[in-house]
Amino acid sequence: MSAYSYHASGRREGSGARESIVISAQNDPGRAIHLEGSAKETLEQGRNRLVVAGVLFAFCFVVLAGRLVGLALSGLGQEKDVTVYSRSIQSKATLSASRADIYDRSGVLMATTLDTVSVFADPTRILDPIDAAKKMTSVLQDLSQASVVSKLSSKRNFVWLKRHLTPKQQKQINSLGIPGVFFRKEEKRFYPLGPLAAHVIGYTDVDNKGIAGVERYFDEGLSGRNGSKVAPVKLSVDVRVQHALRDELTRFMSIFRAVGAAGMVMDVKTGEVLGMASLPDFDPNRPQDFPSKTKFNRATLGVYEMGSTFKTFTTAMALDTRSVSLKDGFDATKPIRVAGFRIRDDHPKKRWLSVPEIYIYSSNIGTAKMADSIGPKRHKAFLRKLGLLDKPVIEMPEVGAPLLPLRWNSLETMTISYGHGLSVSPLQLSTAVGAIVNGGMYIKPTILKKSKEDISEGKRVIRKKTSDTVRRLMRLVVEKGTGSKAAAEGYLVGGKTGTAEKAVNGRYKRDALLTSFVSAFPMNNPRYVVFAMLDEPKGNASTHGFRGAGWTTAPIVSRLITRLGPLLGVKPVDEESETVKAEMYIPVYSREKKLATY
Amino acid sequence: MRWNLTIVLVLIVAVVSYGLYQLSYEVQRLGGDLRTLRAGIAENRAAVQVLKAEWAYENRPENLQTLAAKHLPLLLVAPYQVAEMQDLPSRVTDPFAASLSVVPVPRFRPRRKKNGSETSPRGQLHMAKYEGQRRSGEAVE
Repeated sequence: MSAYSYHASGRREGSGARESIVISAQNDPGRAIHLEGSAKETLEQGRNRLVVAGVLFAFCFVVLAGRLVGLALSGLGQEKDVTVYSRSIQSKATLSASRADIYDRSGVLMATTLDTVSVFADPTRILDPIDAAKKMTSVLQDLSQASVVSKLSSKRNFVWLKRHLTPKQQKQINSLGIPGVFFRKEEKRFYPLGPLAAHVIGYTDVDNKGIAGVERYFDEGLSGRNGSKVAPVKLSVDVRVQHALRDELTRFMSIFRAVGAAGMVMDVKTGEVLGMASLPDFDPNRPQDFPSKTKFNRATLGVYEMGSTFKTFTTAMALDTRSVSLKDGFDATKPIRVAGFRIRDDHPKKRWLSVPEIYIYSSNIGTAKMADSIGPKRHKAFLRKLGLLDKPVIEMPEVGAPLLPLRWNSLETMTISYGHGLSVSPLQLSTAVGAIVNGGMYIKPTILKKSKEDISEGKRVIRKKTSDTVRRLMRLVVEKGTGSKAAAEGYLVGGKTGTAEKAVNGRYKRDALLTSFVSAFPMNNPRYVVFAMLDEPKGNASTHGFRGAGWTTAPIVSRLITRLGPLLGVKPVDEESETVKAEMYIPVYSREKKLATY
Repeated sequence: MRWNLTIVLVLIVAVVSYGLYQLSYEVQRLGGDLRTLRAGIAENRAAVQVLKAEWAYENRPENLQTLAAKHLPLLLVAPYQVAEMQDLPSRVTDPFAASLSVVPVPRFRPRRKKNGSETSPRGQLHMAKYEGQRRSGEAVE
């Protein structure tokens, strides 16, 4: 009894009380615990408190245990997966914070992102700016000491000293041990092929933002900005074709001392651009070192009056609308005078010319008359169908819209029929010629590789029969006409020359020419359109001073096709064989009087 | 009995906690391994990326063309050098030559140059020749 009273009165601590109760109960098993009065009350209170605390703790532990069991049963494996997954995503994200790569059609790397290191300084922590600058410029010789000093003594706490160091430079700077100079990991866009496809790929600024070409058009997809999926871009360009094109253009540009050149190789059945070059070009690895005019893409952004290559469209239109037949012709004896304008021939024959003759001798007079017989309205509609009057749609930001004449009447129809008065880009011209030769289907150009199922039919612009006739005419131009220098043995080249005077300040300059040659091969079943253009070529001894397209650009096409044929898997044919001759046969219906004197 | 139970419980607790500590250390060690491996993978990936870029750089067509012009006697492929499989003549095995390959017989010692070793090809097919060879042949004629 005394024990109880002692506890009840003296101590209030629960555990002690409980213990003593247990002990006393053990000591006296026979007797029931008997409490009364205030002692009982206090004990009850202590017990209640104990129970409350116990329940609370028990609840907490049950929750913890339950969570543990739950994780053990359901989530352990998953949890691990989740961590791995999230980490891999993170690592992927850090990896592909880097821009995705750009490949050519066969998977050659054209643009990639490399990890580099940039050096920056915290001027507030630089002890001696002049000494630091001296040390820095001893390693980075392209920096001027004065500018580094001014940077290092500025009041900011972050200045870039140089972006994208080489590993060697990094090591050297690191071993200089200047306090307050730090490195930061960065990424640099690298173009292994250099200037090869500079205008197609484009380039990025120092922060890896695409600012030209494919880099700009697919900027979101390449960088994953704005939540788009990061995916590499596969171009339709073939590096080998691109190189052959650029190589030949460069060669002939220097031979004829031209100020610029452009070229295009296009698949007529799919609309894929296999090669597109514009000279002079630049190295996208260091675009700032090149003048801004080199970044101008003559192949897509530049629009030019293409000259006689347009006769292909005029002839195709005339034959397709059946307003003339091959037997018909026009009198090309005298130049035409319209509205104070004189239309004359570069290669005057001064006689009646049949439609094939007009085309192969490139008679402006005959073509103008041919177009005039059709009329401006239908002429305009036809050129619109060929995509020559609208801005072309291609996956590039630099696309030039054609320059249309202010009004389009009889005179304009006559001049546009031989390629003056309407400026189009080489891309438009190649696409339109592709549509003429491939059986008459207009297929939208693309610089992305098409898979088999992407290839669409296109929309019909001329009849198959007309396409076939125009093909034979184009072949005849190379066989007998103005484009004979474009012949590439075995590949049945057909094409059309185009020599245009450049319009400078609203007047045509007779001494500044723009020569172009548009061709397709093999002409019995065309697969590729090849276009070449020289800007202001000058004649030399090998051309007897001539600068026309037949002398300056046709040889480019000849060389190019000889190189491209084996690359593209085109089987050469024997051009002299009877079957090929029959396939390419076209009656000329000439009324030329043979002189009896020889 | 009660003591036994207590001892058993204490033992179990000891064993389990030892096991748990071991496990925990093991997990930490593995985690460290994983991190090193991941860092290694990332580093290797970057290195592979650099190597790919370098490969593309060394294989740029311009470079290959210069090297080919320097070291290989190759010219543009002429149309007559292109043939299809069905254009090739079927292989004719000389029974005598076939028997030679089975039974070794004494032969002439190999000489560097055989007289009249250039045989004209059968049929329509012409062999591709290097420019240098053709020139020397013409000079002899």
